[in-house]
Amino acid sequence: MQKIDDFSMELNFTEAYRKNIKEHTAIREARCHQAQFPAVLNEIQEKDRLAGRTFWGWVGFSPHNAPGGAAYGYFCHEQKIIEAIERGNIPMEQRDGVHEMLHFWKKETSKAKVEAAFTPKMLPVLFRDEIVSLPYNFKPLIANPIYRMAGVFVDYDKLLRLGIPGLKTEIAGYRDKSKDSGGDWKLYEGMLIALDVFVDSCRHYEMQAMQKAHICADSKRKEELLQLAEVLKKNAVAKPESFYEALQLSWLYTLICGSLELGRVDVYLGDFYVHDIDNGIITEEEALSLMHSYWRLINELFRDVDGRVIIGGKGRRNEENADRFAFLVLETMCTYGRAILPQTTLRFYEGMNPGLMEKSISLIGDGHTFPLLYNDDVLVPGVAAAHDVPVEDAEQYMPLGCGEIVIDHMGFGTPSGSLNVLKALDITLRDGVDQITGKRLGLPTGDLNEFETFEEFFDAFKKQLAFFIEILADHEELEYVESGKQAPYLYLSMLYDDCIARGKGIFSGGIKYLGGSLESFGSVNAADSLTAIKKMVYDEKLISAERLIEALNHNFVGYEKEHKMLKACPKYGNDDAYADDMMVELHNYMCNTIRDQRERTNLDWYLNVLINNKQNTILGRWVGASADGRKAGREMANANTPAGGNDKKGITALINSLVKPSHYIHAGSVQNMRFGRDFFITSRPQFEVLLDTYFKKGGAQAMITVINRGDLEKALTEPENYKDLFVRIGGFSSRYIDLPRDVQMEILSRVTY
Amino acid sequence: MSEKAIVFDIQRASLHDGPGIRTTIFLKGCPLNCLWCHNPESGIAKPQLFFHFDKCSKCKKCSEVCGENVHRFADGNHSIDFDKCTLCGKCVEVCNDSGLRMVGREMTSGEVLHEVMADFDFYKKSGGGMTLSGGEPMLQFDFSMEILKKCKELGVNTCVETSGEITSQKFSQIMPFVDIFLFDYKVTGLADHKRYTGVSNERILKNLDTAYHFAVPIILRCPIIPGVNDNELHFRAICDMDKKYPKLKGIEILPYHTMGNSKRISIGLDETLAELKTVSSEVAEKWVEQLKSYGCHKAKIG
Repeated sequence: MQKIDDFSMELNFTEAYRKNIKEHTAIREARCHQAQFPAVLNEIQEKDRLAGRTFWGWVGFSPHNAPGGAAYGYFCHEQKIIEAIERGNIPMEQRDGVHEMLHFWKKETSKAKVEAAFTPKMLPVLFRDEIVSLPYNFKPLIANPIYRMAGVFVDYDKLLRLGIPGLKTEIAGYRDKSKDSGGDWKLYEGMLIALDVFVDSCRHYEMQAMQKAHICADSKRKEELLQLAEVLKKNAVAKPESFYEALQLSWLYTLICGSLELGRVDVYLGDFYVHDIDNGIITEEEALSLMHSYWRLINELFRDVDGRVIIGGKGRRNEENADRFAFLVLETMCTYGRAILPQTTLRFYEGMNPGLMEKSISLIGDGHTFPLLYNDDVLVPGVAAAHDVPVEDAEQYMPLGCGEIVIDHMGFGTPSGSLNVLKALDITLRDGVDQITGKRLGLPTGDLNEFETFEEFFDAFKKQLAFFIEILADHEELEYVESGKQAPYLYLSMLYDDCIARGKGIFSGGIKYLGGSLESFGSVNAADSLTAIKKMVYDEKLISAERLIEALNHNFVGYEKEHKMLKACPKYGNDDAYADDMMVELHNYMCNTIRDQRERTNLDWYLNVLINNKQNTILGRWVGASADGRKAGREMANANTPAGGNDKKGITALINSLVKPSHYIHAGSVQNMRFGRDFFITSRPQFEVLLDTYFKKGGAQAMITVINRGDLEKALTEPENYKDLFVRIGGFSSRYIDLPRDVQMEILSRVTY
Repeated sequence: MSEKAIVFDIQRASLHDGPGIRTTIFLKGCPLNCLWCHNPESGIAKPQLFFHFDKCSKCKKCSEVCGENVHRFADGNHSIDFDKCTLCGKCVEVCNDSGLRMVGREMTSGEVLHEVMADFDFYKKSGGGMTLSGGEPMLQFDFSMEILKKCKELGVNTCVETSGEITSQKFSQIMPFVDIFLFDYKVTGLADHKRYTGVSNERILKNLDTAYHFAVPIILRCPIIPGVNDNELHFRAICDMDKKYPKLKGIEILPYHTMGNSKRISIGLDETLAELKTVSSEVAEKWVEQLKSYGCHKAKIG
């Protein structure tokens, strides 16, 4: 899809921003929303039963749901605009304005504001660009900031209970009170304008649906469009009363507020659904038809790493109704067919309706990569401890995107920084200097041969890690501070506890919990490397420190004997204490050090996440050979999963290793398990025992893919026949044939049971 | 727990060697010498050198370190004189292609038990446990006795996959500690049995009878080799076993596959049944149908 090079929306948006540059940030943001919506709302399409498609401009405002490469706050996608200028298709009357706009945003985007506020400590360390999946034209460092306010879970329950008019009434009340007492009433005024923008957007779609109905020849479709227009009309003026109205309202709000997550759909839609079904207002078939439209929109509009639809679990106020809706979600998956999105997530606990798990396992066995399974019996106490919140709040935990855990409409925790743990180890071997660029990236802690004992070396590594962790924590805090200064993020503040009551924007002291998370990559390779260094260099003294560094510098070429010895060292994932204990020690150090950042910053929590997306492969390209035997530039292991092919003792040993690192000190850890389809078909009872035992032993989460190796091998040579082959790379699903070759090979290299 | 055995593999999460999720211990050494053996490296009860021909890059490092002239390179070929090998392991150490390895290592029953117990939680719910396999596991009698007893003490279900070729005295001693036997039924008729497996079946059938009457659950495992025992006489004999022992837990057909042959070359043995191909699933299904038509309804592919 190529946007025509008409920049009228972007120019209007920029104009609105400038006109209000000295205004209260809430008013400025609201005026910008006016320029943005409904201008960026795309047309209702052929099969849509729900209205709401976005086509963001190259300039705009959104916490996260902006075009890739610019997804944060006030954004300007320079690259795209420059490309348009070069194409020469911009209308003559806009050309000067576009150039001028480009220049204007250089200092005004949210990202530019954060970068301008970097402390002297941050400047030499932080990489200043987006991490994008381009293999060779960027050089990620050890600490990489990520610009986004990701993981929006607004209070849908409140939205649907009050509807837009109810929300307006509540906010207007606060505004008037604030005005009378001389408070910051303009925040509320901004919210009210933003709600008017939302109402305008409903009306915009209502009109569109009417117009389409008028010219529609198909009587069934005409009826559908008229029904949709009616639903939108109601949304503009009243709280929702039917399932259809509730679904439409929640969907459009999701889009406009810039969220990419759908949250606890079974809770907020369950009552509406059950009411309509039980009273004969809607049939199952009709509900399913609406859900299919919902599924299609999520699939087409959201990116592979987002789109969480969450069902099941503790802390649902309407468990029985929610369960019934959860079954509808699973039935939707079943009838819609395999899809990359949404990332359906099943939370479960001992005592929950077992039918949900049974049906979920059947779906997984049929080759759906969902639902992702989350064990509340481990995670609720885990979140309570890690995030340091009461259990009742922990029950509202929400895994976002790749699996970072936040708290539903109470706690934000954008993952806005990544740490390349293996690269940090790489420089620790060489006095803090990067062997590729020759530049100093970390602290001068000495060369490997200067350490008398392994413990001294490990301590130096810990110092390096702490150094980067502190900078990333400071950066996370800075990102929030600057976000708060620029905008109250009105659509979020309206539906996040306790912004309205406190009269403050979400990132300016309004939200109940302001947390954060750090994505760490390469921990497993780092732990295995530490194991190999301990065993070979220190315990058994079979390879000298000098020799090891030489072997690594030469990527093992000419050092085959050492390579073989290093590869033969114990590896995490085989239920071998020698290797697993190292992983646990590194895990504990990382998680605890990150968690301690709450003492240094104003964040309510700052936690490690061991998630995976494509970054394990992308960041690995910039890490030299490592002591675990991994060759230079090769992918790093995913999250808390053993490095490819290293788990040689089978699934039970893997599970025993996976449950060793604690789940009480981080904000999400991804566990990938892959099973051959044969295994699943012939031995389902054993499969269920494996899974059940894993969870009983303390497993927090499982992402299960059922495929066979033959599928993958054939897909490489006959991609045209394998378009429907989806694999999950931990954090998300992807069409296998669309992945870069090295990512494909990495997936192939992992053991398939 | 200090009895020792030569173990050539431990397979965890094993699903096909007895009920539930199991850990299977493969012990080296077998009194039989079946033509079709799919684990020929289990034949002798001591470690031995194993060579993957296709992995060799002919770097010749092995010949440089070998004091016995085991490795020879002529005309670009790497040949091995297995008889001369003293199992010193030097060549394995220098081989960077993973072409050379040592099969079998000595382990104590304590070490093995430690690995078995690691998956205890998985056994409980699935009805699984430990399986002793081989080779002939009862050949390393003291080790097997010790670990089976200990497993029973600890509540681990035990399964023994056996040829049945052992003295009846020892068999009776071990039997009380076995929850289920996977008992081989290979060839019908004493002479043929001796011809194809190297031993008579007298003792084997007697041990089977003893176990059956001691009420140990038994699954009969029948390797079917085209041209050797895929005949009516043998199939009818399998049915007779079913009639004689109506409480057999199951009768499993194990169709021939060629994996054994590639491994034979790797340990310096000649190929056997070289012209024989792996049996297709269609043919195996037909065998099962044939058995069923004779009234053996328990038969299925193992």
